[in-house]
Amino acid sequence: MSNLGSREQTVWAPFFGSMGAAIGISLSALGAAYGTAKSSTGICTAAVLRPDLMMKSVIPVVMAGILAIYGAVVSILIIQNLSYELTAFQGFVQFGAGIAVGFAGLAAGFAIGIAGDSGVRGSAQQPRLYVGMILIMIFSEVLGLYGLIVGLLLATKATA
Amino acid sequence: MASYATSAGIGVGLVTLLALYVGMTYCLTGFGFRFDVGWYLEAVSPYMWASTGIAFAISLSVVGAAWGIFTTGSSILGGGVKAPRIKTKNLISIIFCEAVAIYGIIMAIVLGNIIADFDYNNASREVASANYYAGYSMFAAGLTVGFSNLFCGVCVGIVGSGAALADAQNASLFVKILIVEIFGSAIGLFGIIVAIIQVTKIKMGKTAMP
Repeated sequence: MSNLGSREQTVWAPFFGSMGAAIGISLSALGAAYGTAKSSTGICTAAVLRPDLMMKSVIPVVMAGILAIYGAVVSILIIQNLSYELTAFQGFVQFGAGIAVGFAGLAAGFAIGIAGDSGVRGSAQQPRLYVGMILIMIFSEVLGLYGLIVGLLLATKATA
Repeated sequence: MASYATSAGIGVGLVTLLALYVGMTYCLTGFGFRFDVGWYLEAVSPYMWASTGIAFAISLSVVGAAWGIFTTGSSILGGGVKAPRIKTKNLISIIFCEAVAIYGIIMAIVLGNIIADFDYNNASREVASANYYAGYSMFAAGLTVGFSNLFCGVCVGIVGSGAALADAQNASLFVKILIVEIFGSAIGLFGIIVAIIQVTKIKMGKTAMP
């Protein structure tokens, strides 16, 4: 009766699962932090010019914060399936889920930050640009959503 | 005239070549089985994993807090030359950065309380794998809270710096930019929440079977 390789319970399988959870939240946090920080420099500059538009300019920060939520959701889902009796297959799949949501959140955060920075500075000077900025923010957020979808698909495969 | 980019490129190229050379040597001489990730993960003691996790939790959080504080602090002190009224209100930004270090030390204390002794040589397979699982989880929890707080600290620092300079120009702007800072500090909060969830299920020691 041979074990089919990755379907055997190993001592080291929880390492990959735990590292998947850690990478998922950490890299999404980096994306969210970059988006928040980069667009905040634009918001602070635009706010001096047009203080009344400040509330509308917080949109890039909100969308960047959502990326951290995506990472936390996938990481928590990975952690619910961790145990000391984990097959190698489950460990590897959880690792993949974490990397998927992590790097996607990182990329989306970069996009939201850089585009949001230019967007709020431009909308303060030209109000008709606001709708364009919102559209660009939505497309960038969707990149993080793709990572969340793949991360959820993978993490739900790791149930015992 | 080599720029930084050229030196970085040469460095990356050399490292890649070295890695390829070592990898090919392992493959082509029939000793590929010696590159054993599973052996390494089992050979390193669970206490090493746990302790490095604790170390990362506190050290990276403090690096993030320090980075944020010096970024914000230098802007407050610079902008305060012409507008000294900003210095008391903008201490809130410094406190937001400090909170990140507090998250790190809370997590380090929580992780440190989990460590317990188990009989390495006579333990049953279940107790041993439960302890290894605990060690891996503590390492990952330490990395989670450490890196999240590092990035959060840098972010809150940059936002606080912008807030100080905007406040120096127009006193009504500070409260609005504080909203952005609150979103930024939520990032560190997510990190510690995920790390706490990671360590609620684990136990170390002779009675470790959960």
